[in-house]
Amino acid sequence: MKQVVQLNVNDAEHELALDPSRTLLEVLRESLGLTGTKEVCLLGSCGACTVLVDDRPVLACLTLASACQGKRVLTIEGLRQGEALHPLQQAFIDKGAVQCGFCTPGMIMAGKALLDRNPHPTPDEARAAIAGNLCRCTGYEQIVEAIVAAPAVDEAARVGAREGGHYLMPDMAE
Amino acid sequence: MQPLPKFEYREPGSVAEAARLLAELGSRAKLIGGGTDLVPSMRQGLYTPAYVISLQRIADLRGVAWEDGVGLRIGPMTTLREMEASAEARARFPFLAAAAREVGSPQLREMGTVGGNLCLDTRCRHFNQSEDWQDCVEACVKRGGEFCKASPNGRARKCFAVFSADLATALVAANARVTLQSAGGARTIELADYYTGDGASPTAGRPDEVLTEVLVPSAMQGVLGTYLKYRMRQAIDYPIAGVALTLRPRDGRVHDARMVVGGISSRPVIVKGLGALLEGKVLDETLAESAAKLARKSATPLANTAGDRAHRKQMVYEFARRALAEAAHAAAGAGGGEAR
Repeated sequence: MKQVVQLNVNDAEHELALDPSRTLLEVLRESLGLTGTKEVCLLGSCGACTVLVDDRPVLACLTLASACQGKRVLTIEGLRQGEALHPLQQAFIDKGAVQCGFCTPGMIMAGKALLDRNPHPTPDEARAAIAGNLCRCTGYEQIVEAIVAAPAVDEAARVGAREGGHYLMPDMAE
Repeated sequence: MQPLPKFEYREPGSVAEAARLLAELGSRAKLIGGGTDLVPSMRQGLYTPAYVISLQRIADLRGVAWEDGVGLRIGPMTTLREMEASAEARARFPFLAAAAREVGSPQLREMGTVGGNLCLDTRCRHFNQSEDWQDCVEACVKRGGEFCKASPNGRARKCFAVFSADLATALVAANARVTLQSAGGARTIELADYYTGDGASPTAGRPDEVLTEVLVPSAMQGVLGTYLKYRMRQAIDYPIAGVALTLRPRDGRVHDARMVVGGISSRPVIVKGLGALLEGKVLDETLAESAAKLARKSATPLANTAGDRAHRKQMVYEFARRALAEAAHAAAGAGGGEAR
């Protein structure tokens, strides 16, 4: 029997009638169209579906959507601040931390969870934070560099904003 | 994506309510903590409960607290991350916090709970497979078939799936006790006795019982402990072998030593004779080697997880030796009476 579930996803309130067997990953991707969160192993072994629930990095493929009643969910789509990228997203671009891109949303959400708790992580702390996220392309080095560099990107963006400019979403059409 | 099998979902607000639900639903229901063990199994069609009962809204089941004269009380719905970060656990039994940190990955520890770790289902390469895979082969004993395919001649009628919980192995070494509550009352048993050794039904918990408390008795205060985990990668993987050791150093000698090995059998294996071998002795390299050989002797892995049997057995020896070396080092550092 379907249950009515209130979910706050990326600061937007949703009221959904859901079968209790649906996972948060299914609801994000299939009901809300938020396909930034990736579906890969569905067994908790790869980290590609990492989202933040009440600020904690969790695996959306193993989370029942019904269990998120009244909780705050943050996905990769909720990171950008207006037109500006989140500093960690910008750091991933600056450091070339993306190849095929499939692990990237999960990597960024795991990195964001770390930066929220520890704004200036060391490379080893960054490695520990993404230990549950598999990447088959990059070899992880640039990802670690991006997470460590994010605070500086954030600072640069703040200075840029004070001086009248800021990091913009790159126009993918160009 | 392949949906989970359908079920009804309940979130009782109290242990009494959860126990009432279980009394009514019995084995048609499965309890869920963080979901990191149950959900993948349901995804593979291994379990199809009609009801899934979440304990997440029961505040009483969460938290780690020390009580003088009683011990370290751990709520089973405490997440593994909360356990690894717990100031009380780190101050009194740092090896338990460290063992929690060895589990899975940051995300899995954020979701997974202490109780879920204790109730972790056993695993086997013949059981933990997709439905498509299972459709192509004869069912093993855990899936309702006749024989255990991992048993040496493939003819055993008992399941030998492996118990792989890191924290549980360390908690058995810490002489932990668990309290189980049903609508009819509560009982407290040694954690070691909670495990049956039967891979198909690994715990002595009844379908109508809720695990409500894990207690490390206050008598364990001052014990030295360590948990070492062997696995292929330094994250995500289950242990190929996990070795937990507790002992009490006094006047440079070892007392009350207890070693438990996980990841090799359907239960955490207490190494027989190790306590007697080490009791009252100075833990030197020769003695440590004899003790590690006892650990190896107690390990009889079958061909059911990663790594071949001889290798796993030898790694039990190796990790036991390392655990003993670490304990000898720590005991000397703890001012046991003899300089190291």
